[in-house]
Amino acid sequence: MISWIVFKGFLKKELKQVLRDKRMRVLLFLAPLIQLTIFGFAISTDVKNLKLWTSISPNDTILEHIYQHAIASGWFIPVNANRNSDPYELLQSGKADAILVAPPGGLTKAVGREDAPLQLLVNSINVIQAQSTENYMKAIIDQVLVDDLKKQLPESPIKFVVRILYNPTLETSFFMIPGVISLLICILTIVLTCMSITREKELGTFEMLISAPLSASDIILGKTIPFIILGMIDVPLILGMSILLFHVPMQGSFLVLLLVSFVFVCTTVAIGTLISTFAKNQQQSTLGSFLFLFPAILLSGLLFPIENMPEYMKWFSYLDPIAHYLALLRNIMLKGGDASFILKHTAILALIGCILIYISYKRFHTTLE
Amino acid sequence: MSLSWSRTLAITQKEIYHILRDPFTMALSLGLPVIMIFLFGFAIEFNVKYIPLAVQDADQTQASRKLAEYFGSSNYFIVNYVSNPEQAQNALQSSQARASLLIPGGFQKDLSPHNITEAQILLDGSDNSTVGPILSYLSSMQAISAKRLANYDPPKAIDLKTRFLFNPELNSRWFVIPGLAVVIMAILSVLLTTLTIAREWENGSMELMLSTPVRPIEIIMGKLIPYAVLGLAAVTFVYIISRTVFHIPFLGNLFVFSIGCILFLITYLAQGLLISVLVRNQQIAMQIGIMSGLLPAQLLSGFIFPVESMPTFFQYFTMLLPARWFMTIARASYLKGSTLLEMWIPFFALTLFCIIFILLAIHNFKTDLEP
Repeated sequence: MISWIVFKGFLKKELKQVLRDKRMRVLLFLAPLIQLTIFGFAISTDVKNLKLWTSISPNDTILEHIYQHAIASGWFIPVNANRNSDPYELLQSGKADAILVAPPGGLTKAVGREDAPLQLLVNSINVIQAQSTENYMKAIIDQVLVDDLKKQLPESPIKFVVRILYNPTLETSFFMIPGVISLLICILTIVLTCMSITREKELGTFEMLISAPLSASDIILGKTIPFIILGMIDVPLILGMSILLFHVPMQGSFLVLLLVSFVFVCTTVAIGTLISTFAKNQQQSTLGSFLFLFPAILLSGLLFPIENMPEYMKWFSYLDPIAHYLALLRNIMLKGGDASFILKHTAILALIGCILIYISYKRFHTTLE
Repeated sequence: MSLSWSRTLAITQKEIYHILRDPFTMALSLGLPVIMIFLFGFAIEFNVKYIPLAVQDADQTQASRKLAEYFGSSNYFIVNYVSNPEQAQNALQSSQARASLLIPGGFQKDLSPHNITEAQILLDGSDNSTVGPILSYLSSMQAISAKRLANYDPPKAIDLKTRFLFNPELNSRWFVIPGLAVVIMAILSVLLTTLTIAREWENGSMELMLSTPVRPIEIIMGKLIPYAVLGLAAVTFVYIISRTVFHIPFLGNLFVFSIGCILFLITYLAQGLLISVLVRNQQIAMQIGIMSGLLPAQLLSGFIFPVESMPTFFQYFTMLLPARWFMTIARASYLKGSTLLEMWIPFFALTLFCIIFILLAIHNFKTDLEP
């Protein structure tokens, strides 16, 4: 096993090499915080600011109220266009996202006749946006009908009382930030590890390491543990920022979270090492990291719900460490942590980690000999 | 700034040798976009289905069983019975269920058109992306069960008829595939060039090159050309797959779209070169390349999260992302059939970025040996 002195030497060398460059210190400790801030504030999963246009004929009070309600809701914003514009042209040119077309003679009269088809034209380039537009409009119309017609419709005899748990106000940042945390930590550690190892290969200093009186496992541990440490410094930094700046709740135990993060960081460092054993130069290790990161991010469940994927893709996502870590972060931070859930996902994560460590150890060994 | 084509082409030739000598890089840049489009084109689906629903039925009557059955037969939910409210809560806590339906005792007894019977729904709010669809399913489930169980069917005063333009069936693939292609090509392009100059500084070949009469502009242009060709080949493959395998309509002008592709590729390749010129260190160049390419292109370009929904400041902020502009061009060309005139703003922005990045890369290309 590695001796303390050897390890201390390695640790000093690696940390010095990484932290020597001021730009690297900024990239490691400041850049993640900046990125977290940008993504945390910018992204919103509720659809807002949809450009709504409608041509309201005089005396059409119901349509006018629907329009006013829509603008007041904050979901829609008005479009300045001529009253006689062609709705299709407005959608085609992107000036409007949604257009209400009243039946001939106006909506109010049609409601009086009890036959009031109201057409909603929606730009559905973005599928999610289009669906939300329809749902918003339905809700607005129901509200206006109750307000305007005063004809109290009999209430539905069955009512669902909905309670949203864990994130009752559906704050997007609560949902996004655990995702961004897992991506940032994963990217940082993988890139750092595999670039550092391939760099030594490219520069030829790797040969020097081999000729030094060190065993293969000394070299492997010495080249990976410093990056685990660097990764573990970033974890509380990023977490602290999310809790202080974005007020993401921390319902569960911080200690459990750190432990889980440790397992995750070990796994990502193993992935970085594995990529470096395949790469001949830094260009290849860059593309290799991308080859892993890109699908791993798409499968993580941050951009698309995993449940919707076909069976074969779900299997891929079971192999994705980011997916497990993200699920764990959400469970611990928002739900307070469920023991069986944490055990299950940590065990899978640890298993993936162990297999990767084993393979990269074997491959590293052959590179060394 | 004059440019000698023969020297530029010499650099291009040298770079082509680099690419050919490294089959891994070439295979990856041509193969990766194609594989990703295949895998995720089939996999990504926004219409949430089969939501695990924990049902606790305290009533145990015909009506309550029917209510649960309506949920189960809708295809939106998969019903799992639990015996008490704590178990329902636990199912949500451990993510075994996304939603839970608690039917109170006396549900059937209270059921009449003149009375309001309540059933409680608990939703897992930790995954925002599924809450929206579930809420809209719930309102239609409420209407269905009220109609079937209590004969409640009020006349609709206004009949909203929605027409979805450009993607009438709300096909997730039409939405995702052009966007995914943009994201992949953006990142790949940055990564392809982000090391090329830093590498030459690190292994010393840059010093050799500087002792020749070759000028910065020629090095930059010479390095852009081969990678742009490589990227264009990858885009062509992706285009063919999107048309033949996924049958996504392409209504725009192919020539205009190709010009957009070339501008977009060169912009990102130039961004990579700019990083490479500025930092001269592969490890740092790579970190910056991934940070400025990977996450912003995926999260801020409008790929999934619409730019219009962002706070005003960030809407302006995303204007700094070339991917945001090309996202608009790609989707509008595929689905809307927009003309160049209709897309002049994104085209103008892309051209501007393209020129700025190339000029910055040339300008910052220091010919002195000390960084």
